[in-house]
Amino acid sequence: MSDTTPESTELPAELVAVDTNAATVTLAVDATIYPLQALYGASYIFIDRCFVFIDRPEEGRFRVVLSPKDAKPEPEALRALVGEFANELLSCAWRHQITQDNRVAIETVTMQAIAGAMGEPSLDDLAAFDFSDEAFDDPLGIAQSWEEKHGKKTPSEPPPADAGDEPRAAAEQPAAEQPAAVSDGAGAAQ
Amino acid sequence: MSASSTEIRFAREVYSGEAVDEAVKTFANFASFELTEDEAAWIVRVTPNSPDVARRLIGEFGNYALGLTIQRGGTTTV
Repeated sequence: MSDTTPESTELPAELVAVDTNAATVTLAVDATIYPLQALYGASYIFIDRCFVFIDRPEEGRFRVVLSPKDAKPEPEALRALVGEFANELLSCAWRHQITQDNRVAIETVTMQAIAGAMGEPSLDDLAAFDFSDEAFDDPLGIAQSWEEKHGKKTPSEPPPADAGDEPRAAAEQPAAEQPAAVSDGAGAAQ
Repeated sequence: MSASSTEIRFAREVYSGEAVDEAVKTFANFASFELTEDEAAWIVRVTPNSPDVARRLIGEFGNYALGLTIQRGGTTTV
């Protein structure tokens, strides 16, 4: 019978169990907090130092068994090992979360980089481009010109009758009277 | 002298089946393997050729299967 002493660690007893006889430490991992990808990352770091075995005893929970490659490790070494693993697991989970949050930005930048590396399109590519394919929707008509949106006035179209008659008449009045005054002056001189 | 056999259950949600198969092929010179499976796990019964290296052999075998699973991008069941 192995001697399991969960109270020998500072981690919660319901999460960590140290078996000094078998030289193993067992860590229970909540799958809702630590995704499997984070567990993979932390385990991969430790497989050169210890034997790592991951089990799935029930839904929503993983169980990680760590066993140092040294046959008879000290209990302190086991405690340090599970502590380091827990820290690494938390780090991997946080990095996984950051990657998930920035996935759209990363994919956008990558696509732009790949598109830029392809170079500018040739004249043949532009000639063969299918413009019938709608590139985007324009429900607000932002891409339309002013004439397309409001209608272009033809030059032969007469101006509206009630549009600014009085100011134009007032402006033309002195111009119409001025030649007469000149002619009057010329006549007087004669 | 042959060592006693040890049964290892690799959870399907954690370990890739192809990775376990490849690990068995890699370690075939050092132990004999019996492969079975159920709904939740790939079951491998390992019998090391030498009992002196049983602990190390089983541990390295598990590490190898886990490493291959991670390098393959994990499993498709989760």
